[in-house]
Order: sequence, then C-alpha cells, then structure tokens
Amino acid sequence: MDLLDPVIDPFRSGIDQRALLEVALIGVLCGALGFWVVSERLTYGAESLAHGLLPGFVLAALAGAPLLLGAAGGALVAAVLVALAARDERIGPDTGTAVAVTGLVGLGALLALAPDSPQRLEELLFGDLLGVTDGDLLAAALLLACGGAALVALHRPLCAVAFDPAGAAAAGVRPALVRLVLLALLAVAIAVAVQGLGALLVLAVLVAPPVAVRGHASTPARAMAAGAAVAALAGLAGIELSFHAGSAAGASVALALCGAAALGAAFRRSPGSVRRAGR
Amino acid sequence: MPSPADLVDLPFLREALLELVLLGLAGGSLGAWIVLRRLAFFTHAAGSATFPGLVVADASGFSPLLASLAVALGYAGGVERAGRAGREPGEATALLLVAALAGGVILASDVFESGGAVDRLLFGTILGLDGVDLLASAAAAALAGIGTLALGRTWSALAFDPDGTRALGVPTGAADLILLALVAVAVVAAIPAVGVLLVTALFVLPAATARVLARGIGPLIAAALVLALVQGVAGLYLAYWLDLPPGPPVAVLGAIAYAAATTVRGAR
Amino acid sequence: MSATPEPGLAVSVTGLAAGYGGPPVLREVDFGVRAGESVCVLGPNGGGKTTLFRALLGELAPTTGRVRVSGRPAYVAQTERTRLDFPVTALDVALMGSLAHGRWWLPPRRPERAAAAAALERVGLTDASREPFGTLSGGQRQRALLARALVQAAPVLLLDEPLSGVDPASAREIGRVFDELRDEGRALLVSSHDVESARAFDLVLCLNGRQIAFGPPARALDRATLEATYGSEMIVLEGGPGGVRAVTVQHHEHGHGHEGHGHH
Repeated sequence: MDLLDPVIDPFRSGIDQRALLEVALIGVLCGALGFWVVSERLTYGAESLAHGLLPGFVLAALAGAPLLLGAAGGALVAAVLVALAARDERIGPDTGTAVAVTGLVGLGALLALAPDSPQRLEELLFGDLLGVTDGDLLAAALLLACGGAALVALHRPLCAVAFDPAGAAAAGVRPALVRLVLLALLAVAIAVAVQGLGALLVLAVLVAPPVAVRGHASTPARAMAAGAAVAALAGLAGIELSFHAGSAAGASVALALCGAAALGAAFRRSPGSVRRAGR
Repeated sequence: MPSPADLVDLPFLREALLELVLLGLAGGSLGAWIVLRRLAFFTHAAGSATFPGLVVADASGFSPLLASLAVALGYAGGVERAGRAGREPGEATALLLVAALAGGVILASDVFESGGAVDRLLFGTILGLDGVDLLASAAAAALAGIGTLALGRTWSALAFDPDGTRALGVPTGAADLILLALVAVAVVAAIPAVGVLLVTALFVLPAATARVLARGIGPLIAAALVLALVQGVAGLYLAYWLDLPPGPPVAVLGAIAYAAATTVRGAR
Repeated sequence: MSATPEPGLAVSVTGLAAGYGGPPVLREVDFGVRAGESVCVLGPNGGGKTTLFRALLGELAPTTGRVRVSGRPAYVAQTERTRLDFPVTALDVALMGSLAHGRWWLPPRRPERAAAAAALERVGLTDASREPFGTLSGGQRQRALLARALVQAAPVLLLDEPLSGVDPASAREIGRVFDELRDEGRALLVSSHDVESARAFDLVLCLNGRQIAFGPPARALDRATLEATYGSEMIVLEGGPGGVRAVTVQHHEHGHGHEGHGHH
C-alpha cells in the first residue's frame, strides 16, 4: 500500500484538485504580499477591507454577477468609507474604522438575509473552496502573475520605504506612491482570495504566513519566499484536513494557516540571532 | 407594514423589546467610555472570541451565558495585563479572532451539525430570547449605570491625561480592568440579540455619533443613551417587519446616524 | 520614594543618577528644598529637567542615590495637542485633582466639588469654569491644570514650563498663585527656559546632564554656571542691574536624547 495514499486521495476528485490549485495560487501571492502587510502595519486595514466588502460581495451574489467584481467593488467602497470615517479626529481612526466596518457588515448581512434572497451568506463569509470555478482559477492565476510581477518590481522601493522612509524620499522614491500601490495590490488580492476563504477568514492567508516566518528569515526576500511556501503548505494541510475530517474547506485552511503561525512563533529564535543575521 | 404597537402587544416581541431597551441603556452609557477610551476594537474582539464557546455550549446544553462570560472576561484580563487596552490590534489578536471564527464554524457545521445556529450566533435573533438573557441584560444595564456614576470621574481623567492621573495616585490598572470587565459583561449580554459580529452596533456606533454631536461628557452620555435606545427599538421593528435578525438593521441605522451627524457637524 | 525626608525638608535629593536603561542621562544631583521655598529648574532640552521630575514623582527609579519627597507631589505638565478636543470642562479638570485623596471608585462628593470651584476661583477661571477645555486659551488651560494641582493639595508641586506660551494676564495670575502657595508653606519646583525670570525664585537649580549649580539666584547664576548649563544655546549680555544678563536660544526640537520621553 502506498503510504502516500491518504495524502493523494483527496486529489483524485476534480473538486479538491481545483481547491488545492486555488489555495496554492492565492497562498503563494498572499503569503509573500503578507510580509509587507504586516511590516507596514496594514493588518487592521486589511481586516477592514475584507469585512467591509461584504455588501458588494452579497449584491453580486444576489444579482448573479461575477463574485470577483462584487468583491472588488465592495473593497473599493469599503476603502473609501473607512478612509473617510478614520479621518474623524474626535473619535479616532480605530473607532471610525469600526463604525464604517460595522455598518458595512450589517448592510451585507441585511441584504443577504432578506427572506427572498438565496441563502449564500455562509459561503460569502467563510469561503466556498469546493465550489471553485474555472473563472476563479483564472483570476487567481492572473493575480499571482501580475501581483507577483508588481512585488518584484516594487521590491527595492518597498524595502527602502520600510526601513528608512526619510532616506528613501531623499533618494527619489515616493513613500506615498509606493504605499498606494501596495494598498491597491492588497485590495485586489483580498477581492480574489475571498472567493475561496470568505470575508471573515481571508485575513489568515495574508497575516499568518509572515507571522509564521518572522524571526526565521533574515531578509525580506527570504521572508516572502518562505511565507509563500508556508501558505501553500498550510493550504495543502487544510484541504487534507477537510477531506479526511469532513470539515468545511475554507475554515480548515484558515485554521491550518493560524496553526502554522502559532508553530512559527513558538519556535522563533531569540531576536538577537535575527539581528546578527543582518538585513 | 406591521403596526409598531405589535412590539408591545405580542408577547414574544415584548421580550425582545425589553431586551433591546436594556441593551440600549448599557450600550449608551458604556459606549461613551468605549469611545473615549478607544476600546472599539476590544468590544468587537470580545464578541467574536466567544463564538466557538457558544457553538459548543449551544450544542451541549451548557449555559451559553457562562461559556461566553468566561471567554470574554478572560480576554479582558489578558488585554489589560498586556497593557494593550485602547491600542491598535496586533497580528496575534487578528489571527486569534480568525481562528475563533473558523473553529466555530467547523464545530457548528461539521462536528455538532448545528449549522442553522451559525446565523443566529453571528447576527442575533428576535425569537428565543429567554429570561436568562433578559436578566443578563438588566444586570449589564445596571452595572453600566453604576459604573458610570461611580467611576466616571476616574475614567474620564484616565482618558484625558493618563500620565497625570497616574501621578495623582489612581491605580490605573485596576480602573482599566473594571471598565474592560464591564464591557465584556455587556457584550456577552448583547450577543443573543444582535449576534457575535455586531455588538459594536449598540456599543460603539451610538456613542460615536453622540461624540460628534455633544460637547461635554454629560451630554455625550445622554445623547448616546437616546441614540442607542432609538436605534435598538427601530432596529427591532425593522427586524420584525423584514423578517431579519436584529443585528444588521441596528448596525445599518447606527451607521446612517453617524453619517448624518458627521454631515451636519462637519468631519474634523 | 515617598519616605519622610530630613525634618524641615520637603524635598531631599542625594547623589541622584537616573536614566532610561542605558547610561544615566542625569547624574550627581544633590539638593534640598524646604517647605515654602520655590526653586527654578533651568537647563537645555535634554538636560534632565523632565528626568528629574519623573524621579521626584516616583515614575522613574534612580540608578543611584535617593529621592525623598513629602507626600505625593502634584504635577502640572504642559498641555498637549491630543487633549484639546477631549470633552471636559475646566471644572471637570479641577475636580480630577480630588482623585488624589484616594476614593477613585466613588463619585465626587459635595466638598470635593466645592474644592474644585474654589481652586478655579483662585486661578481666576470661575467665569470660564463650564467652558470646554479645548476652547480655552493656552494660559487658561495652564491655569486649569494648576487648579487640578491645587485641589490635590499636595505639599510639593512640580511644574513643567508653566509660563511658556502663556499670555501676560494668565502669567500674572499664575505668578500670584505661586506666591500664595509659598506663603501656605508648599514647596514649588518650576522648570523654565527663562533665565531672567529665575531671579524671582528663592533658589535655582541648573541641570545639563548633571547638576551644575544650586543656590540662591544672585549667587548661582554667574557667567560660568550659565555657560556650563546652556553652552552655545545662550547669549550673555554683560552689565545691567543684576550683573550678568542672559537670554537663552530656544530649540524647538523635542526628543533630544531621552528627554523627549512621554512629555513632548
């Protein structure tokens, strides 16, 4: 008996093959992008975008339109509303963001749960990995190609801005522009990834890989590569879990990603060794 | 369009109405401190963290109130100990919340096969609010009121000038912990009605709107109370009319109120 | 920190060195202040004034040496940008001082409210007592914080540049309150950038990483001391009624070394 049978079993069916491919494509891009999300302190912002896109996502589902469009539109609207609310100095950016996101999530749920709409809210919230279509795979592949190219092209400016913004500006790099491009890439990545993981869980694929490799990789490039690998492996583990334990696929992948982060943090070397390893 | 009087006439709606009035009282008073001390994320996180425990309690017959109370209070203690109250959430917290939601949904759909409970736990319900929920909400409202009266001066001093207040000899850790614990209790009381994901609809949104409108702490609390009560009752009515859980309409009303207030008063 | 100092001394500092984890940013500080005395603490930014105050407040443990203060000192810091839009009135701020009397878990009682109103009257803010703090002028805000310190009724008051950026009317009120506090037997330590105003105090303490001088201004404020304290940040004008006159050049970059910690 081949020892690898249990591992390969899920992938005898087309459904899980596609789920794995989706997770791998998204994971690789988001696992790498996540390094910048965490280092530029965009975690809360990413979560706000992911939750805030819900109404757009729901509207697309109700209208039978491509979910990717709904997610992207929702993310755009969320970004604008959150930015507006966060400007309110009286309540502060955190509270402003909470107001915008709560309103948007409430609106999304309201639209989805109105009695004459098809009940798809759970898929939108927690992902529909096993319902991945060819269109989704194409989008994920495009994301990886274009997003990956963008990350490579922006690598030196991103490093410069992250480690010495003043020096970078002096050298002709424009931090505001770099950050804007990063945010745009983040929004697109989230819009693609929510198809598989859902609005509530997609943050894991962006934040867990960098947390898992933090302290283990000595340069941003290595951290991004390691993050991509961790995301893909965790995705595989999640699908295996989902197949063998019969659990929801998206949630299983999310849990596997969080588990990877916990493991990586637990076995982190002391900060001193990372400093010695240099940039 | 059903008559608003139904809210008072029909027995099951009466309970829901009372629940939302009590939660409005808690949400308005505690909400003022949540907004002034920048605890909006803590409020949301305390709610979401209870999700897996609630799924288990729901399925196993254990008291959901006790299960969620244990988690929420534990989270409050952890946050205070780590000195992270009022600060932007870190990656660990964000991942913890994702894990809680993912774990909860797996438990619900695949372990306990109580998938139907997920919507109710996430967004609340009008039906099935029982005496225990009402008692919890009454306790939350009472504690919120007592806390505001007794500790309002301390809490506002801490929000206004943390270093100076510590220099006065006030044990800021204890004062913070009491506030966090009260918020945790109120969040737990609100979950049956508005759900785990939308507790901020009652505890942050009315007070945020009030903060835009009011210029002193007394008026802020008064405005927050009025807004929370109106939002809660109107949201309940919408939920009854449109056959929805109460959480979403309350949240949408709250956001609209904030948007209206900011347009009138000007964003600053 | 708050052990009773030698009899007669409200504040007693011996051999103090303090820092923020690395080498001490303030060394060799040795002085004593009696009840009813006022001390002007002079020095450049980063020279250790804030560090000394934090040590006196008990927020910073000395690396070496000892600090003894009568009771818990009242601290009047500079008003910062972030507190301007907080929805409190001047009366609310004054009332916060009563938290020092220990019952922080109870609502304020009538005597405490009366004390707050009385303190506002002492600083001349009765008319503005219900105004939001953020709408007050710089001088009025400073007076409100002073009222908070008055309600605290501490034997020792530490004031961080209370007169900087303050209009002349407020400055007069504040100066008048200082005189009253000294008559009441309280000890005042006031940090300042204004060398000339230091001559009105009973004592001056010059700090620049270490104690340069301590004593009555006529004796302590000679040219050598001023140069050691301020270095190139000072312009000295010879002559004039007091002998040497000096004007300091203000640098507005905060956060020199470790001085920026928390207060700027």
